[in-house]
Amino acid sequence: MKAFKLENEPKIKSGFNTPENYFDDFSEKVLQQLHQKEVKVIPFYKRKKTLSLAAAAVIGFALMIPIVNNYKATSNDLDEATLETYLSYQSNISQYDLIQKLDDSDIEKLNNNITLEDETLEDILSTSPNIEHLIAEQN
Amino acid sequence: MIDEKEFIKQLLNPQTQNTAFQKLLSDYQRPLYSHIRNIVLNHDDADDVLQNTFIKVFQYLKNFKGESKLFSWMYRIATNEALTFLSQKAKLSGISSEDLQNKTIDNLKADLYFDGDEIQIKFQKAIVTLPEKQQLVFKMKYFEELKYEEIAEILGTSVGALKASYHHAVKKIELYVTSN
Repeated sequence: MKAFKLENEPKIKSGFNTPENYFDDFSEKVLQQLHQKEVKVIPFYKRKKTLSLAAAAVIGFALMIPIVNNYKATSNDLDEATLETYLSYQSNISQYDLIQKLDDSDIEKLNNNITLEDETLEDILSTSPNIEHLIAEQN
Repeated sequence: MIDEKEFIKQLLNPQTQNTAFQKLLSDYQRPLYSHIRNIVLNHDDADDVLQNTFIKVFQYLKNFKGESKLFSWMYRIATNEALTFLSQKAKLSGISSEDLQNKTIDNLKADLYFDGDEIQIKFQKAIVTLPEKQQLVFKMKYFEELKYEEIAEILGTSVGALKASYHHAVKKIELYVTSN
């Protein structure tokens, strides 16, 4: 076999080629990759998530405003029952002191409360042992 | 042709960077592609390595001291990337780098982006039998037609050593082709 001599042969090409338009698209591809590496892009959906979380927090706080207000109001206004219990069991105020504090309108209210039905009155009178006494005195 | 120092300044300035890098890409993508393709042989691999090369060029540009030419610096990065890629691929496949190259050459017949014939395949097989450095020198001189001075700057060796290396490579290839 004849010895192969590179310099006597026509130039042998590598035979490598590329897809069509490969180099046209290549620059774009690399620049895009570089841009991605340089700027840490926060995807839109993530931004949206933060935004909606912030909105939810604001709404949450807004909803809490009336609750907080109510809580304050009720804690400042003692209801009547608590007040009565306090006065009768915890304080040194005697019944006499209380009567002293009553004004005319209070007494009128008390009068109103005492208006009793006739039947009830009769019941009381008939069951009360001192009633005869009273009748005798009246007469 | 603008001064290389000026061009590097443009590449580092955020305002001119994009245009300058586009110019760098259009000037160098074809020669660097051939250089990488000659080493890794397959188009898809060459595409990956070429992308990584440009990304590294861009990343390390601010460290580029201008001691060598931009051209040889970029070729050096491309060579390193391609060789690292090959050795990693061989490691992953659990075979030697030479076996991997032989396998790739066998697959070239089915490669869409290779239009060589039997002689070209035999020629590639002959090149694979060479030591790594000789392969590089031969490919850069024979296929890429770079000057000895340019190859010397890229590979960091003397022109004399390169000439000797190329001469050895040619002899071995001729011997392989004659006897196979």
